[in-house]
Amino acid sequence: MRGLLKILLANRKAAIGAAIVAFFILVALAAPLVAPFDINQRVASPHEAPSAEHVMGATRMGRDVLSQTIHGTQTSLIVGFAAGLLVTILGTAIGVTAGYFGGKVDEVLNLFTNISLVIPNLPLMLVLAAFIGQTGPFVIALIIGLTSWGWGARVTRAQTLSLRQRDYILAAEMLGEPAWRIITFELLPNLISIIGFNFIGSVLYAVITEATLEFLGLGDPMVVSWGTMLYHAQSTSALQVGAWWEMAAPCLALVIFGSGLSLINFAVDEIANPRLRTLRVPAKVLAALTNRTTNQGGRA
Amino acid sequence: MAFLLRRVGFYVAAFIVAATFNFLIPRLMPGSPVDIMFAQAGGTLPPEALAALKQTFGFIDQPWPVQFVAYLKSVFTWDLGLSVKFHPLTVNEVLWRALPWTLMLVLISSLIAFAIGSLAGILAAWRRGGSFDSIGAPIALMMQAMPPLVTSLLALFLFAIYWPVFPTGYAYDPEIDPGFSLEFFCSVFKHAFLPIVTMALAQVGGYLITMRNSMINLLGEDYIVLGTAKGLSDRRLRMAYAARNALLPTVTSFAMTLGASFGGALVTEVVFNYPGLGYTLFQGITARDYPLIQGQLLIMTLAMLTANFIADVLYVALDPRLRKG
Repeated sequence: MRGLLKILLANRKAAIGAAIVAFFILVALAAPLVAPFDINQRVASPHEAPSAEHVMGATRMGRDVLSQTIHGTQTSLIVGFAAGLLVTILGTAIGVTAGYFGGKVDEVLNLFTNISLVIPNLPLMLVLAAFIGQTGPFVIALIIGLTSWGWGARVTRAQTLSLRQRDYILAAEMLGEPAWRIITFELLPNLISIIGFNFIGSVLYAVITEATLEFLGLGDPMVVSWGTMLYHAQSTSALQVGAWWEMAAPCLALVIFGSGLSLINFAVDEIANPRLRTLRVPAKVLAALTNRTTNQGGRA
Repeated sequence: MAFLLRRVGFYVAAFIVAATFNFLIPRLMPGSPVDIMFAQAGGTLPPEALAALKQTFGFIDQPWPVQFVAYLKSVFTWDLGLSVKFHPLTVNEVLWRALPWTLMLVLISSLIAFAIGSLAGILAAWRRGGSFDSIGAPIALMMQAMPPLVTSLLALFLFAIYWPVFPTGYAYDPEIDPGFSLEFFCSVFKHAFLPIVTMALAQVGGYLITMRNSMINLLGEDYIVLGTAKGLSDRRLRMAYAARNALLPTVTSFAMTLGASFGGALVTEVVFNYPGLGYTLFQGITARDYPLIQGQLLIMTLAMLTANFIADVLYVALDPRLRKG
């Protein structure tokens, strides 16, 4: 595990990405302390332009945009990580079960996975959110989690199928190890890079999807998040009246946080598949990597 | 042939699952589904229309299985009920009126992104670690992290509001009569330009990365080494040997991305006030027009399944192994 961390930090992309994500997590944790203004108070004139006092300007209601963005980070990150976790747990559980047990179980689970992949996600979420009515952050996380596990399940299943044929799994079966033990102690540790990749990708997807759903008017407008900020800005025609700052702040937050996550994922991909690498890597790391891949029996 | 038939069977099953969601979701919500669904409708629709609407969605005095069959019958006869927001139009009429605009945006932007992204991916993989690769790949990656919502808003603000080069709404100038005239086509082009560019930008990075990675994996294969040893030209090796095979995963991802880009179109259209499915749906959501919201799921699923089927056909054409049996 420590070796993995070392490899990640030696990769420049991963290090930058991790720093960005860590920064956002800190902001979310310390939101009430760092936000310069109360988000429920009118502290500026309507659509006040950015100034030294209000760095990101003010909304039509005279709320400080920077403070809203900082508080919104809390909601957006909680939804992102909660939904991402749910997607990863569902996808991994379904993928591993299908891949390990095979036969009828695999056929049924694989059919469900494939069906969930061809039914378009956003339209399905719109139906769910519309019927639930006022959807708070947690309901949105749940909706995203329940509809978006298909991709992760497919990738995990494919990798499980290939691992399943390895000698060490067969050996464990010969020894009469119970299935749950083989799965948790033999399979899952070797799936860790795929699970991590799936988790980070899902968090990114969830943050963007939450913002999209809320922008389309399916969120709870009383909650402050990046999505509801965009929704309010859109419904007060902020861009049309020239108050671009009302949209710029949440958009920037979305893009920077998203870039951080995809930098990490890109690095994970490079580390798991050394052929994809562009940057020159220190010899030591390369040695660690080659050891790791040969230990795992090379390329599938 | 057997392969394609099996796929068709799978698509029918998938469509029934989508319809089942539509059937179950209102019935599983707390409270009375009929009341939730038709509270808004009661205000705008006359009583007999309301009764017909209930019939369409299977809200009849029968147990659930019978209701389900009744609903499936409506779906398969493509009766999606009446729109509440756009009364007296049916959901069908509202959606079919909007669909061509969305199809145009999605298809053109996807093809542009596919062509540019795949070509760039081939070049990046060919000179891996070269200057194009080390600049192009990270940029593609950054673009993937840009939500369509953000790119659309940015494009709208920069090129329609700050420098008003492009219009901020509608699919064509309302003062021009729609028809086969150059003026009309120019107007359509001008209105569709920003939405198409922003949607293509959202997808191009994904194609670049998929193609690059798939190409890099293939370039290590023995047959490429053999080709080099035989003295084949770089160009031939790159396009006919490596890219031809590397294209297979991209075809699948094209079908998958098409679904996502329908989702992206929803957002882009709302931002640009573009009268496609997304914008219509947005109006439906604001008015809580449930029949319309349910209808869009079916029509989007249908579009997605068609795209997948086309990808299957392409796959058979590209991969001779599938043609047997």
